[in-house]
Amino acid sequence: MRYIWRVGWREFAENARTKGFWLGILLFPIILLVASTVPALLMAKGVSTRHFVLVDQDGAFAPAIRKALATRQANDLEEATRRMEPLPGPGGLAPRMPSTETNGPSKAPGAGHPSTARRPAWLEVPLPAGVDEKADVPTLESQLRPWLRGDRTLPPTTASPAPKLFAAIIIPRGLGQTNGVGPAIRYWGDNQADTSLRDALQRVVTDEIQSREYRALGVDPAIVAKVEARRAPVTELDPRKAEGSERVGMKDRIRQWAPSFFVYLLWVSIFAVSQMLLNSVIEEKSNRIIEVLLSSVTPHELMLGKLLGVMMTGGVMMLAWMGSIFGMALVAAILMPPTAPGGPGNIAADVTALLGSSWLLPAFGAYFVLGYIAYATVFLTVGSLCSTLKDAQNLMGPVMIVLMVPMFLMPFIPRDPNGPIATVTSWIPIYTPFVMMNRIAASPPWFDVVGTGALLVAFDVFVLWACGRIFRLAILRTGQPPRLIEMLKWIKGS
Amino acid sequence: MDGPALELDRVTKRYGDFTAVDGLSLKVPRGCIYGFLGPNGAGKTTTLRMILDILRPTSGTIRVLGAESALEVRGRIGYLPEEKGLYKKMKAWSVIAYFAGLKGMPRLEAKRRAHELLERYGLKDFAEARTEALSKGMGQKVQVLASIAHDPDLVILDEPFSGLDPVNQGVLEEIVQDLRARGRTVLFSTHVMQHAERLCDRLVIIARGRALFDGTVPEARRVVPRVVKIETEDDPGPLRQLAAVAGLQSTGPSRWQVTLAERADPQDVLRACFERSIRLRAFDAAEPSLHDVFMALVGPSAREATFR
Repeated sequence: MRYIWRVGWREFAENARTKGFWLGILLFPIILLVASTVPALLMAKGVSTRHFVLVDQDGAFAPAIRKALATRQANDLEEATRRMEPLPGPGGLAPRMPSTETNGPSKAPGAGHPSTARRPAWLEVPLPAGVDEKADVPTLESQLRPWLRGDRTLPPTTASPAPKLFAAIIIPRGLGQTNGVGPAIRYWGDNQADTSLRDALQRVVTDEIQSREYRALGVDPAIVAKVEARRAPVTELDPRKAEGSERVGMKDRIRQWAPSFFVYLLWVSIFAVSQMLLNSVIEEKSNRIIEVLLSSVTPHELMLGKLLGVMMTGGVMMLAWMGSIFGMALVAAILMPPTAPGGPGNIAADVTALLGSSWLLPAFGAYFVLGYIAYATVFLTVGSLCSTLKDAQNLMGPVMIVLMVPMFLMPFIPRDPNGPIATVTSWIPIYTPFVMMNRIAASPPWFDVVGTGALLVAFDVFVLWACGRIFRLAILRTGQPPRLIEMLKWIKGS
Repeated sequence: MDGPALELDRVTKRYGDFTAVDGLSLKVPRGCIYGFLGPNGAGKTTTLRMILDILRPTSGTIRVLGAESALEVRGRIGYLPEEKGLYKKMKAWSVIAYFAGLKGMPRLEAKRRAHELLERYGLKDFAEARTEALSKGMGQKVQVLASIAHDPDLVILDEPFSGLDPVNQGVLEEIVQDLRARGRTVLFSTHVMQHAERLCDRLVIIARGRALFDGTVPEARRVVPRVVKIETEDDPGPLRQLAAVAGLQSTGPSRWQVTLAERADPQDVLRACFERSIRLRAFDAAEPSLHDVFMALVGPSAREATFR
């Protein structure tokens, strides 16, 4: 045991001295921080302002479009700012949020207060000189082409010194006048990826046409909007919870999805250490350090020591990650008091409470160790079979593909945690840690928990035994990796 | 515990059809320097690996320091493999301390010992250097030190001199002699006969997995017929009649090689030359070197092996 510990400790100490290890530890919280703050920041900062021209040949829609776009922009900005603060609570019976996509101009609440300090997402500019607003559509379009193609730029605006024309919107005569569709709005633009302006335009004009039709039918569009905003209230209840508190809240959702997060952690950490394991075995093998080691420890002690070392490496990485999540949740909980239910401050408090109290952590610990033994042993054996990193990477290909499967399964298992896919895959030992971790929130049958656990332990023992036999023989071998048949012979012990 | 440090009894190792070691038996007494000589591919490294229980013999038994397996007494054995390598990113002292630790030395003592050895054998300034920054010779010295850091009773060195410059070869010889002076047993393999000649108390010469000779250096010299080289303008023919002379060959103009009969004294030849008025320009009665012995014993088979 002492020898296993010494080998393991050196392995850990050496890994802890590599840049990759620290990068792995530090990068995770940084990514987490960036992922949770940057989208909001980006929304607030926005992409560069899109300049467009609007020609309404009837003049029937332009005022409504201008007003609606301005309102939408103001709302978007407000929304972006609000994301940084506690959200107003949805309460039990949620009225629709005022700025959801389906809002038309007439339904939008007061025009808000556009922040002049921020650049607008869209900015209407007057037609360039020489383009005749009164011309027919084909002429107008051919006149606009040089600007749309970017051959010519617009006169400077507040947003840009030489803006490019992002889009031209031409509303032909007769739109919306007859029942049915009528002529189409002509939206010109070379950026098909950013459809925000086009979508907004379509919604605005649609709403406007609908409002007019309602009015023509003698119906007040404001009443229609009010009626449309109604939603049937649904209260989610969970029979497993204590009587009187069955209502499903944010905490329960977190509880449902937290295991997925742990699965992801487990997966990433296995991936992260696999390279370290390969490197360390191959270094020992190619430098022939292995012989000195084998004169001091048995191959089994060496293998177990390396496993222990890599488990410590992965464990420390994992603890650091969890610590950083815990820490960030704690900081968030302190900085953002849980004023409203469902707010970030409250979520953070829920996460902290969940991690601190439930069986999630012990389960994760157990599956981490058992899963690690299986995968790390296989990586170690692959390393022992190869003399060069290149050989090893070739052999690792299939192992990696096998390891990808739980990632593909991850979105499906929480949705149907005791369904056939989940049940079947959890009985496959290499997937048990991932799938069972995912299922654990859904109180799977005891038979599954104990049965798959026992199978996984048995599988680990088998892997340790079989890989131990291969490792013992492979580790002194040089040159090409052996064939599969040969390896099977080694396992059988001939 | 007064038995031999190492005892091999009819040890054989086969890889499929190929027999690497063929019924090898030998005894290494305690406290001696034992040479393990043989041409390339003779089975030296395989034998050493079997002694260390890294490989299992196909048949035969090995007793190391009285134990069935070297792993039972691993703390008392030091090993330097033929192909040298170190952890590149580790510091010189920590490699030595790690290997000593694997032999059971407590951590702090191993660290102290590593620094002490590096200082004693002239590597003090490199103690904190990563091993990848060391020259090949220095790295090898570090590795030798790593193999003896735990003060083993039996030290097994596979080709320890290869790759070292003459100065460092001298340092290594010193290390080996220090070990003997403290009553340790050293077993080393080499194909450089001068080292073996200078250091070994006993030696074994193996070729194609079999022992061709096992004994002391003087005994080894007696294996090949002794020769006396003479230079003379006269005809040395009459020497053939002596009982002490087994043969006479010309090796060049006025040069002759007199092969002596077993246990004959070269002085008899010298006396006979005076008596027969053979005027000598040179008389060289040097003892045969280990090189001669080696060539005589394994020369033909080693050549054969090369062409195989």
